Amino acid sequence: MAAQLPEADAQVPSLALAPAGAELERPRGGWLRQLDVLVPGTILVFLLFLFFVWPVIGPVGKPTGGNILNANIEPWSAGHIFGTDPVGNDIWSRILYGGRNSIEIAFSVQFVGLVLGGAVGAIAAYWGGAVDMVLMRVLDVLIAFPALVLALAIAESLGPSKSHTILALCFFSVPAFARVSRAATLRLRERPFMLAARLSGTGTGRILLRHITPNVLPQLVTFALLGMGIIIILEGALSFFGLGVPPPNPSWGNMIFEGQGILSAEPRLVLVPSAFLFITVLTFNLLGDALRSRWSSV
Amino acid sequence: MTGSPALRLIGKRLATAIPVLWGVTFLTFVVINRLPTDAAQQLLGVNATPQQIEELRQKLNLDEPLFSRYFSWLGDVLSGNLGRSFASDQTVTSILSERLPVTLELLAYALIVSLLFTVPVAVLAARRPNGVVDRITMTLSMLGLSMANYVLALILVYIFAVKLEWLPAIGYVNPSDGIWPFIKSLTLPAISIGFPLFCFYTRLLRADILEQMQGEDYVVTAAAKGAGPWRVLIRHALPNSLFGLLTVVAVNIGTLVGVTVIIESIFALPGIGGALLEAINNRDILVVQGIVLVLATVVVVANLVTDLLYAVLDPRIRYGRPAS
Amino acid sequence: MELGVTDHTASVETEPQAGDRAPGAPLLELRDVRVAFRHGGRRLVAVDGLSYTVAPGRTLALIGESGSGKTVSSRAVLGLLPPTATVSGSIRFEGEELVGLSERQMRRHRGASIAMVFQDPTRSLNPTMRIGAQITEAIRVHQKLDGKAAKARAIELLKLVRLPAAEQRFVEYPHQLSGGMRQRVVIAIALAASPKLLIADEATTALDVTTQAQIMELLRDLQRKLGMAMVMISHDLGLAASFADEVVVMYAGRAVEQAPTRTLFANVRMPYTKALLEAIPRIERPPHQPLPVVPGRPPDLAALPAGCPFAPRCPSARDLCRESAPPFGEGEPGHRWACWYPCGSDGAAPA
Repeated sequence: MAAQLPEADAQVPSLALAPAGAELERPRGGWLRQLDVLVPGTILVFLLFLFFVWPVIGPVGKPTGGNILNANIEPWSAGHIFGTDPVGNDIWSRILYGGRNSIEIAFSVQFVGLVLGGAVGAIAAYWGGAVDMVLMRVLDVLIAFPALVLALAIAESLGPSKSHTILALCFFSVPAFARVSRAATLRLRERPFMLAARLSGTGTGRILLRHITPNVLPQLVTFALLGMGIIIILEGALSFFGLGVPPPNPSWGNMIFEGQGILSAEPRLVLVPSAFLFITVLTFNLLGDALRSRWSSV
Repeated sequence: MTGSPALRLIGKRLATAIPVLWGVTFLTFVVINRLPTDAAQQLLGVNATPQQIEELRQKLNLDEPLFSRYFSWLGDVLSGNLGRSFASDQTVTSILSERLPVTLELLAYALIVSLLFTVPVAVLAARRPNGVVDRITMTLSMLGLSMANYVLALILVYIFAVKLEWLPAIGYVNPSDGIWPFIKSLTLPAISIGFPLFCFYTRLLRADILEQMQGEDYVVTAAAKGAGPWRVLIRHALPNSLFGLLTVVAVNIGTLVGVTVIIESIFALPGIGGALLEAINNRDILVVQGIVLVLATVVVVANLVTDLLYAVLDPRIRYGRPAS
Repeated sequence: MELGVTDHTASVETEPQAGDRAPGAPLLELRDVRVAFRHGGRRLVAVDGLSYTVAPGRTLALIGESGSGKTVSSRAVLGLLPPTATVSGSIRFEGEELVGLSERQMRRHRGASIAMVFQDPTRSLNPTMRIGAQITEAIRVHQKLDGKAAKARAIELLKLVRLPAAEQRFVEYPHQLSGGMRQRVVIAIALAASPKLLIADEATTALDVTTQAQIMELLRDLQRKLGMAMVMISHDLGLAASFADEVVVMYAGRAVEQAPTRTLFANVRMPYTKALLEAIPRIERPPHQPLPVVPGRPPDLAALPAGCPFAPRCPSARDLCRESAPPFGEGEPGHRWACWYPCGSDGAAPA
């Protein structure tokens, strides 16, 4: 790819209205430039290890079935770094298992959203016409529909569980992905190489697979990453209303919800899961942001 | 010049909006009816006899088939009657007029305050990209974004209500009972909602401004006139970026309402969210339908206005601006 | 009120700088101007030693393909380049050195002594600002006029650029005007503070041919009326033939041929210029013949070959061309070129 001068005689004007050195590019080369991806990436890997691997291999207690005699032990005590909750469960292990639950749920939701929503959006945009209109109306309905009602209805009728939570949250993610995918595909459709592919007789399925998917996928993946944080937070919110991971199984959401009542007395029951929630969401946001700025300049 | 084509556009969009409202209300109806227990059982409680339940069902018309109930509801709505609550016998309209304003006040408070801060901060950050103000803003806003609003709410309550006792932890005060207590009762909830919003909007606006400043010809023209950097930023780039921001705000109204539900719950504010929850619990179908109708209408109208703005201003603003 | 006619042969500007112009002294003088961009850790040279002068009231055409550096060099004059750019060499306007001026000092010139008109009038105008406001802004940045006076001057300018129904257009938005009308507005904005030099960067490229002709005529007319010098940037050599006094042809950031228009067209030397000339569609040509366009693509500025940058595409290229870059010298009086084997010669290198 010829390094044609980016700002020369092409149409893009730019302005010396920012002082020298204020360009949004990193002049340094090598791995230092990759820091914005490496740092959150490493932290994410560490967190994943913590939530998924450590409880299996390390000395982590059980998150449920605590002895009431152990209730409300102070943090930094032997065997309980963060102490125990009013029912006697070790908070540290609840954090870890809760983290696993939260991430599993968020990942599943985003995965379904990406695959299903991404496909629907791309198909709608590619085919256009009546297909597009119908699909978009359906999506509009889902978007306008107070998902809250649905979530609660699911909780009430099907009973709260991890899989039902995932189902409820998919109603948020699938339309969102569909929108992004549709917009991205629409933009792609205008490009000359798409026209070339169609004119050369490439079948629709092949076009979708070989041409559209690789171009739209990076956007969807960054969107998925950025959405992880939102979904984890939402899952926590659902716990406030009876959906979400059902107690006694831990999730950060239900830990916060339960800790609410004794906030003034024992703030750490809210603060510890909140802190982990914050760090995890922040990590996903940083990673997603870094990837997005990388891939959008392509 | 923008007269008739705009009207035609409004007409077209309205035509698509109606089926959406239909779909939403129908879907809600179906969902509520599919719930395990129905209103009669909820109202009478666990100790009711099957006969009592049956009687109440008949009285409330719950024994009729779904479709006919839905269509009769539709008919009622079109003639302005939203029905009455099964639980309290209040008209749905009066419930709405009681509870909706609280939510709207809260949202307005949160939005206004967050936007008031967003604009100057974004402008300051965009003035010197990667400068001190910019980096601090970006860092803090990233942190703020990553915080769950219910967590923020609880922390705020802990600090300002429990420890410092400056603001109430729960409860809503009617403006008629005092403007200042009214504002105080809504402040912590508004900050809980508004602060993450502020972080999000600031990033958005800043990015948009920078996109204008670095990519648009009219900015160069303005500079070539001899205009100074502040003037170019505020008089040229900002108005065009604000437009983009406002469309995002409008499109997000729907999710915003969802967000307020949990905040209302934490702060015990008698808003529409709480009303919806109660109604679902009571299987109070008419109330649920009424609230959902209002909410869906707000979302649809917001989207419609946004679409319209884009379409009408199309020749002005279209170049290079992504649709989402 | 005078009709925007300013006599520029007498220097009335508030430039307290050194170098008061002796009669015949150039208005704009570029000497060995270099512009480099820092891009992702690498350095790209967009303009590599460009020199030319523009006399007051005269028109210079800067011709080249995209990537030749013509736009970048012109933006450098007014300091309108991004922070990743470094400009070296000398750019003198009325004797005052422009390279290295602070932002504030530069602003005194922008619009006031030197004005620019850009390529796409649709994008050059602020879509959310009324036409009138955009013009009065240009006026009031440099002059202390109140609203009414500024409005009057703006309408005067709109009439000067022959925009019909000027008073009505004053309150309209850009999207309500056609392309040609918008370009007239852009020109009006440029003329707002009576500049002595107008840089027209592909000012007519985005317009249809008829409008193009109208706008060029307008520019020429205004130039004569206002005594303005003009640098017209284009890829269209034909346009230069009709409107310019002198032509500079650029390739890969360098000037490769320079001469007064008539001399250039009578006696083309650089094979690149010749190829450009031949690529102009002409009515006299037999129909249905392939247009002799210049083969190949503009060079990658990050990886310029040794030797003459045009060598890969030049029909007369020989070994010397590929080994060593020819100097830009005055082969004939008033006519410079950079070629080892110029057209019409027998292989003698220029002085």
